[in-house]
This record gives sequence, structure tokens and C-alpha cells, in this order.
Amino acid sequence: MSANSPLLDVQNLVVHYGGICALNSVNLHVDSGEIVAVIGANGAGKSTLMRTIAAVKTFTSGAVLFNGQPLKKDASRVVRDGITLVPEGRRIFAPLTVRENLMLGAYTRSDRKEQEETLEEIYALFPRLKERLHQRGGTLSGGEQQMLAVARAMMSKPRLLLLDEPSLGLAPIVIDAMFDAIVKLNRELGLTILVVEQNASLALEMCHRAYVLETGTIRMEGRGSDLLQDKRVMESYLGITG
Amino acid sequence: MELFFQQIVSGISIGAVYSLLAVGYALVYSVYNFTNWAFDAFMAFGAFMAFYAISLFFMPFWAAALISIVLTIVLSVGSERLAYRPLRLRKAPRLFMMISAMGANLMIVNLLNLIFGGSFRRFPVDAAKPFFIGNVSIGRMDLLAGAISFAILALLWWFLYRTKPGLGVRASSIDIMTASLMGVNNDAVAFIIFAVTGALSSVAGVFYGIKYAVFPYMGLVTIKAMIASIVGGLGSLPGAVVGSLILGVLETLVAGYISSTYRDLFSFLFLVIILLFFPNGLMGKSGDEKL
Ligand SMILES: Nc1ncnc2c1ncn2[C@@H]1O[C@H](COP(=O)(O)OP(=O)(O)OP(=O)(O)O)[C@@H](O)[C@H]1O
Ligand SMILES: [Mg+2]
Repeated sequence: MSANSPLLDVQNLVVHYGGICALNSVNLHVDSGEIVAVIGANGAGKSTLMRTIAAVKTFTSGAVLFNGQPLKKDASRVVRDGITLVPEGRRIFAPLTVRENLMLGAYTRSDRKEQEETLEEIYALFPRLKERLHQRGGTLSGGEQQMLAVARAMMSKPRLLLLDEPSLGLAPIVIDAMFDAIVKLNRELGLTILVVEQNASLALEMCHRAYVLETGTIRMEGRGSDLLQDKRVMESYLGITG
Repeated sequence: MELFFQQIVSGISIGAVYSLLAVGYALVYSVYNFTNWAFDAFMAFGAFMAFYAISLFFMPFWAAALISIVLTIVLSVGSERLAYRPLRLRKAPRLFMMISAMGANLMIVNLLNLIFGGSFRRFPVDAAKPFFIGNVSIGRMDLLAGAISFAILALLWWFLYRTKPGLGVRASSIDIMTASLMGVNNDAVAFIIFAVTGALSSVAGVFYGIKYAVFPYMGLVTIKAMIASIVGGLGSLPGAVVGSLILGVLETLVAGYISSTYRDLFSFLFLVIILLFFPNGLMGKSGDEKL
């Protein structure tokens, strides 16, 4: 990998569901250390993008390069390579305890001692989870489940964290806390993050760069702060008219 | 009273053998949501392999059992590769998996019939000499079958609840896609499940063959294990064990005190009655965790 090539490079990505084209020649990249956001309305193809990068969805054409290498075809191997997805709707293993959920996050790791360190980082970020270690995942509140989903992904020690709508179904105050935690992950732990969101204003505020995805195509890209000022973005995604 | 105890022990022993098969059904069902009808054939195959290892190659019982286990694992894992995996990768409806399993079953059973012939064979081990606890006589093979079956179930429990790959299997039984996002390899899980269930059906086949006889259609008894796993709750492992033990004891008592002609009738009656009161089986949960 050359010094300035991106950590994740998505080139002309085309994805279909049967005959339906969900992503049409998408280009985007994420550099090491960045938070990159993709904003878009319902059905724009945000989850499809995430699922394709996590290799649970196959693509028709184009390329996904991670660290300069083509993406592996198997989801579990992609995790081993360092890409971990926090899926839309959290998908906590409801019957398993919080601890078991976290252990599953560390499934690809065998470094016992370093796992303890990751756990400490998690408890510092989400003290709530430490108190609930032996509770079943399904009994957590929505906000706690989202924390657990992010914590579980942290347990794999990813080089690239994918977040699919971390704000989904959460109360505004919980969303703020969640986004603070995500920013901390980036600033303090140096984690590279690609996040997709419908909540455009929050996503644009927290990210370094962002893309606007509309029905499977990237319409705009730029710095988060620039897009926040953009007239079209304001009208379509921030609900500001004028 | 002695007779009653003898029958309870014998019932628990045959129940433990059923439970090996029932747990096999539950394991496959919990992850793949289909019933693997091919256990029928695996069981007969396992019994035949052990039978010929002893009668043709004069192997000791333990070696023969081990060979049978290994060969049945190969058959089970092989059938997954050939008959199920292509369907699974195409996300075929589970009905197709069942039909595929039935096809594999028919093929293997008929091959056994063709190659070895349909006659009934006595398993060449000395099972006759009983054991006495007070006045209660217990068949040595009953005791062995019960003890080994329970030991195997304990080992399986340890694997599922105390090891990392076991946790991966449990996670896959809840949500196979999210399990793969954790780095759990779906193909590895399939290998584990089919290897384990292959081994279980081989052991069940050997013990059942010892108790009754070895013949190509001996796997028909898997219907009992199926009943037991439905009674226990489809996909539930503890349910499969409990259902099997109840069924084994019930059957033996019916055969002993009423008539062995009515034994199977009672099994089905039992199923119907349980399902009337517990539509999801005794320990079945609707959805969620199944293991
Ligand atoms: N499994 C599927 N089969 C067929 N079409 C699908 C499937 N999943 C998604 N699609 C279609 O692909 C398009 C993009 O869906 P996707 O889930 O990626 O959107 P999204 O941006 O994540 O939306 P949301 O904000 O509602 O989560 C939609 O038109 C959707 O109907
Ligand atoms: Mg989505």
C-alpha cells in the first residue's frame, strides 16, 4: 500500500437485487483516520452499500479495494481483514448475554490480553454496558442495544468501522450521546469510520467528508461543513427552505 | 417392582439413543430451519460399517465404532456439500432442502440394500449377560448405550456452551447473517453441524443395531426421534433430550405392561396429546434462541 492510497476505495460499484439496480456506478473512498458520511433518503441504497463492503451482498461490477487489495468474497474473511459492520437495526443476539455478544464480536481474535484492553476502552465509552454484562441482549433498551452493537464491533478491533444508521429509532438525546461516542472513537482511538445516515445534519456535523447518495448514484461530495451550507442539501436533506 | 425398574432403565437407555438422533434433528433445524430426513440413512450406514468392521475385519468393538463414526461423518459432511450447500448458497426455500434430504436418504438406503442385501443381522457383540443391582437385572448394552449417549450429550453441551466455535454455532442458530458479520464462517458452521450430527447418528445406529438388528431400513426408527424432537420443541436441544427420554420410557412401559403391538400407536398418541397442550412442544420457543 502506498502512503497516500485510501484505506477503502470503492470504484464504479454496481449492485443489483435480481433485476433491480440498487447502486449504479458508485465511487467513494475513505482515508485512514477519517470519518466519512453517506447521506441519503429511504431506499437510496445506503444499506446496500454497507452490506456490499461487508461482503454479505455480492456486487455486479466495479471494485472494492481495502488497503489496496480487492475485497474478499466471504463476510467472515472480510472481518478478519479488518472491516466490521454494525448493521442497520443493530441485530443484537437477543437470547445471548451482553458478555456473549461481546465475545462474538471478538470471534476472530485470539489475543486474550489485548481483548481485555478493548473491553476497558468499551467500558470507558459505554459504562452502562459494564453493569449489564450478564443481562440478555434482548432486554436492553434501544439505546443500550445500539451501544452494544458498536461495542461488539469494537471487539473485533477493526481498521474500518462501518455504521449503518446508528441513529435509527433512538430518542434525540440518545442520538447525541451515540454520535459523541462515535466521534470519540475516531478522535481518541483513531478508528476510521464510514457511516451512512438519514439524519443528515448530525452526520454532516460530525464527519470530515460526506457523499450524498440518491437512488443508487452519488450526487454530491465534499467536506461535511461545506455540504451543511449547500442550498440543495439544505432543501432536500435538512428540511431548510428559503 | 423389579420389572418396573428394569423397564425404566431400559426405557431411559433407548430414550438416550433416541436423543442422539433427536438432538441431531434439533441442531440442523436450529440453524437451517429444515429437517434432515437423511439421518435415517446415516444411522443405518453407521450400523452397517460397524457391523462389517467386526464381522469381516474382526475389529474390536471400540475400533469398529470409531471407524463407523468417521465414515458416517464423511457421509454426512459429503451430503451437505453435494445436496444442501448448493441450495443454501442459492438461498433456496427450505422445502427444497427437505426434498433434497429425502432424495439423499432414499439413495443411500437403497444402495445399502443393493450392496449388502436386505436381511436382518444380529450385531456380533455379547449383549446378553446382564448386570445385577440387587434383584434388578440390567442389560450390559443398555447400560453402555445409556452411559455413552449421556456422555456424548454432555460433551456436546460443553462444546456449544463453553467453547468459542460453540458460541459461533449458537449465534448462527439465532441469526446466521449477523454471525458471519462477527467473523463466523458459515461453511465452517455447516461442517461442524453435519460432522457432529453424522457422529451422533452413527453412534445411535450402532446401539440400535445391537439392541434390535442391523438392516437397511432400520433407520425408520428415526421417526421416533422426530416425534421426540417435536414433543421437546423443534430446534430445542434440551427439549430433544427430554422428549426422547419420556418417549423411551413410555414406550418400554407400554410394551411391558400393555403390548408391544401398541407401542408405536402410543408414541403417536403421545405426540398428538402433547401438541394439543403445547403447540410449540414442551421446551419450544417460538423463534429466538433454539439451542
Ligand atoms: N433484499 C432485497 N431484495 C430486493 N430489493 C432490495 C433488497 N434490499 C434492498 N432492496 C432495494 O434496493 C434499494 C436500496 O435499498 P437499501 O436498503 O440499500 O436502502 P437504504 O438507503 O438503506 O434505505 P433505508 O434508509 O430505508 O434503510 C431499494 O429500492 C430497495 O427496495
Ligand atoms: Mg438502510
